[in-house]
Amino acid sequence: MKARVRRWLEEGTVDVFIGYRQVDGHPLPYCFTRENLDALDGLINSPARYALEKIATHLASRQPDLKIGILSLDTNRRALNVLGIWNQINPENITTVDADDAASGVATPDDMRTFEPVVPGPYKQQVGIDNAMSPADAEAFDQSERFSRWMYEFEKCIKCYGCRNICPVCFCRECSLEHRDLIGTGPLPPDVPIFHLVRAVHMAGRCIDCGLCEEACPADISLRLLYRKVNQILDNVFEYQTGSDPGQPPFSLLGNQVTLEPKPLDADK
Amino acid sequence: MECELVPSVCSYCGTGCGVLFEVIDKELAGTLPMKTHPVNEGKLCIKGWNLHEHINSPLRLKQPLVRSFGRFLKTGWDEAIAIAARRFREIIDQYGPESVGVLVSAKITNEENYLAMKLARAVLGTNSVDHCARL
Ligand code: SF4
Ligand code: SF4
Ligand code: SF4
Repeated sequence: MKARVRRWLEEGTVDVFIGYRQVDGHPLPYCFTRENLDALDGLINSPARYALEKIATHLASRQPDLKIGILSLDTNRRALNVLGIWNQINPENITTVDADDAASGVATPDDMRTFEPVVPGPYKQQVGIDNAMSPADAEAFDQSERFSRWMYEFEKCIKCYGCRNICPVCFCRECSLEHRDLIGTGPLPPDVPIFHLVRAVHMAGRCIDCGLCEEACPADISLRLLYRKVNQILDNVFEYQTGSDPGQPPFSLLGNQVTLEPKPLDADK
Repeated sequence: MECELVPSVCSYCGTGCGVLFEVIDKELAGTLPMKTHPVNEGKLCIKGWNLHEHINSPLRLKQPLVRSFGRFLKTGWDEAIAIAARRFREIIDQYGPESVGVLVSAKITNEENYLAMKLARAVLGTNSVDHCARL
């Protein structure tokens, strides 16, 4: 695998390869280039996931013809599909290497192979929403309890915008979460549940369920579950599975097909 | 195209969250939380998330200012330090060392805070050392 990446860099298949490398004892994203091929010996797969494809979009926005290789998990590939259909990246310039592939020869440092799953504290269990719930579990509460449990979660928000900043498929130049007429920057506490619901609605057709937002949330809000529900609606109502296919059209509430008979232009005659 | 992810520590408060600076072609393009950092475990507050904005801000103060007749004038470090030393000397000579104090900050490192304390006690001769977190 390392040899393959080295060959790609040498032959110019890719100009830069984004993977991970141990730096100062931490597995960190690392950009491997032709100028520093020896660094490839340190290429690893990291148990701590970063949105490598987001780094790729930053590089591509500066140099659109740059050929980029990315060490990819399933989530990275789904995000790349979404970024491709929204024109944030040119799929022709992207080459991925499967990080899951056991034959890839990229080691995961043993001492960091998995993170402990976070067990919600007793108070959160009592009044909030356990992040590990499925949308169906969360909907089993009666309406008023469901509302109070979600509000408990949302009210913890410190409006750090971390959920948006870390999200691989959040790239809008003007963000609704900063729009003066919707939420606006600055004042705390944030308007709940508007802040979270605006984001949830905007993740329709974007969210690829990577869970990075939830990992980055200092308030431990069950964000992934919220967006999972959005994805479920998308699947049930619109039969749209976000990021499943690089050829799919961008999600549109109006659907992708004209269902009305086109009217001939000379119909009145 | 050069892209480097440089680990660092957020300078905005005493928590000391681990950050990763996204440096593209020598320009600071973004800040990410360091996921394996023991302090913040991949999370940041809004100040940490925006470190690159502060660093790149045109309003950033890059050289010392000295107040003269009510106005701030830009000057060099040597001159600023010389002026501060002279004023300390005058005040201490006139009113004694207990008349001055030192305010330190959570935005500087432990080691720098220690040095400021040393300066206050051993050089200026005052025990009045306080911290921005108590103001
Ligand atoms: S799970 Fe969160 S970070 Fe990942 S794509 Fe969805 S909204 Fe973005
Ligand atoms: S990451 Fe969490 S705390 Fe920060 S803005 Fe998003 S929901 Fe709020
Ligand atoms: S990210 Fe926020 S909490 Fe962490 S050190 Fe910086 S200012 Fe303090």
